[in-house]
Amino acid sequence: MTWRNIGSAKESLFTRLDFRSKLALLLVATCLAFLWESPKLTGALALTMLLLCLLARIQLDDVSRTLLIMLPFYAILLLTHGFFNTYVGRTTLWVAPANWWWIGGKLRLTAEGLAYGVMVIFRTLTLILTIPLVIFTTDLSTLIVGLVRMRVPYRVAFVFSATLRFLPLWFQEIQAIQEAQRLRGLAVESMNWLKRVLVYSRIAVPLILGALTRSQQIEVALAARAFSGSPKRTYLHESTLHAADYAVLFLCSSVLLVAVWLRVTTGLGRFGPAGL
Amino acid sequence: MDQAAIVCVDNLSYQYPRAPGLALRDINLTLRKGEFLGIIGPTGAGKTTFCLALNGIVPQFYGGRFFGRVTVAGLDTLENPIHLLAQHVAMVFQDPETQLIANTVEDEVAFALENVNAPRAEIVRRIAWALTTVRLDGKEKKHPSELSGGEKQRLAIAAALALQPEVLVLDEPTSQLDPVGSQEVFSTVRELNTRLGITVILVSHASEEMAEFVDRVAILADGQLVDMDTPARIFAQVSLLRRYAIRPPQVASFYAALQDKGIAAPYIPVTKDAAEQVYEIVRPLTQITPPAWPSQGVERAGPPLLSMRDVEYAYPDGTQALRGISLDVHAGEYVVIVGQNGAGKTTLIKHFLHLLEPESGQVLLNGQDVCTLPVSELAQRIGFVSQNPDNQIFNTTVEAEVAFALRNLGLRGAELDERVQTSLQTLGLTDYRKRHPLALPKGARARVVVAAVLAMQPQVLIFDEPTTGQDYIDAQHILDVIHQLHQAGKTVIVVTHHLHLMPGYAERVVVMGKGVIVLDAPIRQAFHAVELLRSTYLTPPQIVQFAQRIAAREQIALPILTPAELAGCIVARSEQS
Repeated sequence: MTWRNIGSAKESLFTRLDFRSKLALLLVATCLAFLWESPKLTGALALTMLLLCLLARIQLDDVSRTLLIMLPFYAILLLTHGFFNTYVGRTTLWVAPANWWWIGGKLRLTAEGLAYGVMVIFRTLTLILTIPLVIFTTDLSTLIVGLVRMRVPYRVAFVFSATLRFLPLWFQEIQAIQEAQRLRGLAVESMNWLKRVLVYSRIAVPLILGALTRSQQIEVALAARAFSGSPKRTYLHESTLHAADYAVLFLCSSVLLVAVWLRVTTGLGRFGPAGL
Repeated sequence: MDQAAIVCVDNLSYQYPRAPGLALRDINLTLRKGEFLGIIGPTGAGKTTFCLALNGIVPQFYGGRFFGRVTVAGLDTLENPIHLLAQHVAMVFQDPETQLIANTVEDEVAFALENVNAPRAEIVRRIAWALTTVRLDGKEKKHPSELSGGEKQRLAIAAALALQPEVLVLDEPTSQLDPVGSQEVFSTVRELNTRLGITVILVSHASEEMAEFVDRVAILADGQLVDMDTPARIFAQVSLLRRYAIRPPQVASFYAALQDKGIAAPYIPVTKDAAEQVYEIVRPLTQITPPAWPSQGVERAGPPLLSMRDVEYAYPDGTQALRGISLDVHAGEYVVIVGQNGAGKTTLIKHFLHLLEPESGQVLLNGQDVCTLPVSELAQRIGFVSQNPDNQIFNTTVEAEVAFALRNLGLRGAELDERVQTSLQTLGLTDYRKRHPLALPKGARARVVVAAVLAMQPQVLIFDEPTTGQDYIDAQHILDVIHQLHQAGKTVIVVTHHLHLMPGYAERVVVMGKGVIVLDAPIRQAFHAVELLRSTYLTPPQIVQFAQRIAAREQIALPILTPAELAGCIVARSEQS
């Protein structure tokens, strides 16, 4: 996922929602993911988020790339919980043969451990799917106005926006300097890590000087466009809550309240044999 | 036109904090409403400082010592805050990258209006007006990075216009643009001036365009206003311009050269049309005797030094940058690669350097596939100097910068010192050896990078836009250095937009357009392929266009490249008889 994906989703119900409603959805999904320990419920939550992503017409290429990167991490999670989560592990599925050195007879794979691992995977999946649901469907300008409406100081929101604008330029500059070094016979590929660190540290000088020059140019350009950093300004983009936003906010808060109430009173969502 | 004064500068002098001397000295100037003023002058003349003094950024942002008085639209620039002055004086800067701050085209235009608390409905109305004015309507939702160079500058102009200022100041807005982008900006500004009556102040090195578009021209040099008058009078003073390192329009240089030969024109014209009129006057007194031009380039025998075979390349976003390119460069050649922005010139060069690998086809150096060589090893045989010297400087002294590559090659001791010394001497940098490279003027910084690359003693030298952002003298200096290296046996490839600077240096021109080579010919032939150049959005130098008009008038072939060559073809009738 990159900065370019912000606001990249096609027109849908989600692109019409206010940033604040989507932020509420993100918060509620995160709370539920941590409130519930049942693999069934967290699985259902992740599935719901996936369906919402499809409904929001989000390009899933970047999401699937992130999931691909996460795959080894998920395998480790599953095995770690399966073999070592003795806190939940009860039902043994497999034991290391007794003649295996050191671990023989001790290393056990448990059903509950595996289930817990699956639950943690669903939990992270929920987050991985919800963040693009909010970010990809929100235009950056609307996002900034949304932040300001949520009482984030304008200067902070502006720095956030300007960073997204200028970060790619900064990366281009790093790449240009690294290329220039290679083109002066620097064989980075055949260096040990210590030498590499020393070489990369040389980049800092032109990079910092370049950044200083550039930031002064930007400051001058901002001043020339009547920018004073004052929060007393108007906005082209609007951040208004419509009926759909109120419905989402109501639904989100209701679901959260009911889930907390059920968890406290009936234990719904608690990890245990029932959760399996 | 309302003749009221809109800009009044009285005895303006200014010194930056911690600067040893004055950046501006005793400048007096008055501009009427609706006037178009061009400012010319060498690097370091104080042009940018003068522009910044008009909207109060000098001295309110920078500090320093400020003398005299500047009033714009009746507002004193010392007494009124910058954000208030910005509503009357808008500015467009040189670098499109650092002045566009929003993430969409419409947000860019809205930014200044939001800052001055304009109501939303008014912002929406002005966005539509400003974008239509600069012909960017329909691109409201685009990210600035998706625009071409010319479009970016037009967006910067739209953003400046949104406040509906009385004065528009543009500081070298075309210096980083290709000829088409440059033309787009000039014509847009001219239209704003004539149609909307906006007073325009434009700084540029582009003499031909200035002569064509502006009402008055001011020469700034060493912080002083040397002269200010109509372009016809200023640009006709060829020797004065040369004294201040300003390139005269080519037609003016041509008539000045005729004058030196004793063929007196009634006046020195500064535009193509005026040049034609004057030609009609001098025509009866002169005769054209084109010499026998050297034949079409030198035939190169033997295998090429560098070679591309059917190279195809597409960027990850799908942009097809090279489409079946085949090109041979022989040892000792001087090749210029030209083409509009996005034609694929830099992509092509990156293949020679193994910074990119072709999707299909081959790139060979002395018959060896460059993809089999690491970049660092290949760099010892092909030296590369990129457009921005600052990105290629990462040492704290000039000497260390030049020694950097040599240390990577394993050189130490006396041999290293000797190579550094030779390289510094060749580029005239010996006096700077202990200085920080980034503390040097831009022209000298470019030479430091050349010295650093040259120290590796590569067979081939590639320069990407070596004259961009340099004034006439610095550009000439760097081209002279490249010429010397070529004379010393190096194979040279130069990528450039500045066609007018290349005659006298290059032998062969490769014209690229949209990922293909559309012409590969000796320079004399290439520069006169006017229609083909236009099809790739390139404009031949002014003197070539003028010569073609004369050639058509006289029904002769006149494939000249420079004002001096054209003047050399023309003799007085009495002299001829």
